Amino acid sequence: MVGLVNAEPPENAGEYKNVLIFLETRQGKLAKPGLEMISVGAAIAHKVNEELIGIVMGNKIEGLVQEAGEYGCDKVIGLKSKDLEDFRTIPYSVNLSELITELKPNILLIPATRNGRDLASRIAVRSKTGVTADCTELDIDPAERILQARRPTYGESTLAEILCKRHRPQMATARPGIFSVPERDPKRKFVSEIRKTTIKKEFLKKEIVSFKPKSTLDLTSAKIIVSGGLGLGKPSGFKLLEELAGEIGASVGASRPTVDMGWIERDHQVGQTGQSVRPDIYIACGISGKAQHIMGMRLSKNIVSINTDASAELNSISDYIINEDLYKVIPELIDAIKRRKSGEKKPAEAPA
Amino acid sequence: MTLEIVVMIKQVPDSQEVVIDPVTFTLNRSAARNVINPADENAIEAALRIKDKEKDVHITVITMGPPFAETALIDAMARGVDDAILVSDRAFAGADTYPTGLTLAATITRMGKFDIIFAGEESTDSSTGHVGPGVAEFLGIEQASYTSSTWIEDEFVYADRELEDGIETVRMKSPCLITVLTNSNVPRNPTLRMKIDSIKKGIKTWSLADIGLKPEWVGLKGSPTIVKSMRTINEKKREGKKFKAGEMDKFVDELVSKGILKL
Ligand SMILES: Cc1cc2nc3c(=O)[nH]c(=O)nc-3n(C[C@H](O)[C@H](O)[C@H](O)COP(=O)(O)OP(=O)(O)OC[C@H]3O[C@@H](n4cnc5c(N)ncnc54)[C@H](O)[C@@H]3O)c2cc1C
Ligand SMILES: Nc1ncnc2c1ncn2[C@@H]1O[C@H](COP(=O)(O)O)[C@@H](O)[C@H]1O
Repeated sequence: MVGLVNAEPPENAGEYKNVLIFLETRQGKLAKPGLEMISVGAAIAHKVNEELIGIVMGNKIEGLVQEAGEYGCDKVIGLKSKDLEDFRTIPYSVNLSELITELKPNILLIPATRNGRDLASRIAVRSKTGVTADCTELDIDPAERILQARRPTYGESTLAEILCKRHRPQMATARPGIFSVPERDPKRKFVSEIRKTTIKKEFLKKEIVSFKPKSTLDLTSAKIIVSGGLGLGKPSGFKLLEELAGEIGASVGASRPTVDMGWIERDHQVGQTGQSVRPDIYIACGISGKAQHIMGMRLSKNIVSINTDASAELNSISDYIINEDLYKVIPELIDAIKRRKSGEKKPAEAPA
Repeated sequence: MTLEIVVMIKQVPDSQEVVIDPVTFTLNRSAARNVINPADENAIEAALRIKDKEKDVHITVITMGPPFAETALIDAMARGVDDAILVSDRAFAGADTYPTGLTLAATITRMGKFDIIFAGEESTDSSTGHVGPGVAEFLGIEQASYTSSTWIEDEFVYADRELEDGIETVRMKSPCLITVLTNSNVPRNPTLRMKIDSIKKGIKTWSLADIGLKPEWVGLKGSPTIVKSMRTINEKKREGKKFKAGEMDKFVDELVSKGILKL
């Protein structure tokens, strides 16, 4: 029985300092969700006069270590091994937790991607500490050096602040798409170190047999989203939305039932079981606005609802309501945008 | 030898019945029925599909929860699961993911031999996705998270993991833990006949003493994290300004002049 002995978390707050950040790599590159945490990680570390230490694991990592420093880590440690080339839970968690034992960080930040959450769960148990998942705000109480990890809960309606007072490191994962990637500065000063490691055979029992890359749509960083629901009535409705999206440089989103019916790919889905988005404008076309959909888009800066039903739930959280048949009004909207772009006047206003 | 499968399930308020109050934007969950966490239904189905295909498979569902969580276990048995264990004790109340994982790992240890443990990718009410992998760490076993399918071939467990940028197929030896994606399969429905049989068969209930953990290791006391405060996310006041067909030029002007849309 491996873990159950000494299951009680030790109280070990005293000697821990600095902020450690795990920078995930995907297909040989530093993945965006990790880079997004660099500014907030640096802000927290510097507020208490500590350092932000980036961790990069992989095989060919020299360039990535450099990049991590240029994005704003005060120090970068690269762990290099051909057995770390692809993310695998056990070799990654064993190595990261050895670093934790050595460096004793006060705070450990990990992006809340699928592999990030996979890793964070195991590290929390290995280090016998707490982890707050999927944070959208992170700060530090400078006096006590306590991480204030805030995450939406109850369907994005409430923000809970979660603390881990007695155990170290204090861990949090951050939701992708919330923080922005800092400016890269090739002249930034930082310290770096690359360590070669060997991984014990017993940790390499899981094999990756194959990887089929797919291009997935990242709606989380889209500035404009045109999104369609069952009100489209037919799969080809998305053609009309694509046309509108094309005019304004938008990405196309969708409600879950349209995805379930195969009208559009799943990576377009917005909502509780899809992506959480917060664009500058979210144009919902034929979407009723059920709780699970709203959860994924209510933080959008501006919301437009096009719906034949004046009492659709989505209207109650919309800045603009167009209470019309989408097949009538979207072509008009496309024409109006085209006119505006070309500086033409509306036909009725144009001189005879 | 029997292939022993454990499925960890959690009872949650039905999110379809949980309504957001349009004024306060808080969730009214009091009216909601309790159901099996959606991803856990997919986890049960993933286990049942292995049982459909392989010889000599035995499935146990377990949950840590209050006594009324029994209904979730009975529901699972009525779909074809063989046995169910409810781990229930006042001491478990207020657990965060750490003691929840510990409690479930101790329960599985007490059960004896296990080959594959299934969990959901995350629960709709706490949505951390940490409990499944946490259990794997407590037990010191391999895992594959965020999977859309699992199968057995040449004594290996295979799983497809759906990542942000592609699908990764992994293989490992049992014992291992698999977390299953919501909607990755279509869960079968319980039949009335099997429901009656399951109620007759009943479930096992274990307490803290049965799984051999200390009271200070579980529940609120054993939780490294505390919820310090909750505040309603400040909802922007939305005006709901109306535009009709025939007014799209006006609408575009409004968006452009307010700097909302840049053309
Ligand atoms: C566990 C769980 C998770 C879920 N997760 C998600 C999720 O992540 N994302 C999600 O979206 N849903 C999710 N759902 C489903 C959700 O509950 C709703 O069923 C769904 O959002 C409704 O989709 P809709 O608005 O497209 O369809 P409907 O509710 O059917 O609404 C269609 C709307 O179109 C309007 N309309 C019809 N014709 C026209 C027309 N010609 N022009 C303009 N308007 C028209 C109608 O008035 C209506 O308001 C989830 C459900 C569950 C149980
Ligand atoms: N109290 C519990 N009892 C049994 N399984 C649980 C419990 N809590 C969480 N799980 C399992 O862990 C998964 C992830 O839950 P969570 O970490 O809460 O998002 C769920 O889908 C369940 O399979």
